[in-house]
Amino acid sequence: MAIKQISKGTMKEQTGPDWNALLVRVGSHQDKSAFGALFAHFAPLLKGFLLKGGGVEPEQAEELVQETMIKVWRKAPTYAPAQAAASTWMYTIARNTRIDWLRKHSKRNQQTDELVAEDLFDENEASSPFVALIQNRNAGHIKTHLKELPQEQLQVLTLMYFQGKSGQEVAHELNIPLGTVKSRVRLALQKLKLKLSPTGDDRKVVYVQ
Amino acid sequence: MITNHPTTELLTEYATGAMSLAPLISITTHLQFCEHCRDAVAGLNALGGEFLGECEGTAISDRLLADTLDRLDEEPLPETIEAAPASFAIDAALEEQLPAYLHKFVGRSPLNWRSLSSSLSVAPISVGETAYELALHKIDAGGTTPSHDHRGMELTVVLKGSFSDEHGVYHEGDFLIREPGHVHRPAAAQNQACICLSVLEAPIKLQGLKRVLNPFMQFNPS
Repeated sequence: MAIKQISKGTMKEQTGPDWNALLVRVGSHQDKSAFGALFAHFAPLLKGFLLKGGGVEPEQAEELVQETMIKVWRKAPTYAPAQAAASTWMYTIARNTRIDWLRKHSKRNQQTDELVAEDLFDENEASSPFVALIQNRNAGHIKTHLKELPQEQLQVLTLMYFQGKSGQEVAHELNIPLGTVKSRVRLALQKLKLKLSPTGDDRKVVYVQ
Repeated sequence: MITNHPTTELLTEYATGAMSLAPLISITTHLQFCEHCRDAVAGLNALGGEFLGECEGTAISDRLLADTLDRLDEEPLPETIEAAPASFAIDAALEEQLPAYLHKFVGRSPLNWRSLSSSLSVAPISVGETAYELALHKIDAGGTTPSHDHRGMELTVVLKGSFSDEHGVYHEGDFLIREPGHVHRPAAAQNQACICLSVLEAPIKLQGLKRVLNPFMQFNPS
């Protein structure tokens, strides 16, 4: 049954190189030509992603791209295609690289310590036994429904993903109540058929004033 | 059975990288217990992957790939990389009560338990961050803590045992959000001590608009 459902997933519909397989190849054989192919595809995407977030000059964006790709090389042996598509796995590494870079360069920074974001997340934690099924389903739903999201919901997600803004900061930037930001995120995730927290967001999280 | 989870907003801020260290650690700790939230985060990460995969690419310098390949030669071979061992031994009895994920943080400095009341003790965990206090709290079996308010937001994950307050009973893996003005009086179950991980906004005066708007944010990206 599992096999049948996987074959129905939309992951394989995309044409072009199989990025997941290339990433596995980098991890298992330290294959530099596979790495080069991944680099040629993902480095411009990573740079575009970082520049869209703002706060990073093009020169710095390339530094971050390089740092991200070196981590990709180093961590590739831990990559499990059943758990995440190559682009998802790269996203988490790029996000962590950005977190560390912003911490290092922040004037407000009060970190005194060498902990890095990679230590804090635990991406390799296996999810449910049906993780491959869930992954395929998520990817299919996201591809299908992302284009259908109302502009106002997409705008909130864009600010959060590309700029790393919190819900409260998005509310401030768009001059809308925090509750509206939360409900747009919830509505968008529902439309994308992604899992929400079982705990409703009705509970008001009060930030210190 | 876990009945208390981080909100969707917190999970989203987790997956998008808007949180600072101590709250991040509390969410990852909850994920050690909670399959549902792990799946939710996997979906949020997949959305990030889609944004990355579909974003408009920007041309990169010709030499960047060659430079990167050069640097790979300086990197140790992937197989030879091992996780850094904890700097300090953790008490074996305590170690087995904590999720393995937490060992690397708890083992970074000697744990210094201090008594807050007859049945409540606390051991701060240093992650080099000043805006939050990360700590283990222990309530002795059958013990009750003094009634207390919260000056700032407090996030709590039950690691071992259970406790109850006026609002419910909380078991291993439960994730609680307590807000300023929220007074409660936790009590551990009769048969077992309760150990929790807690993240408390440090009792310092917040400065600057960003910090007031978002105490989870340690940096200003713009």
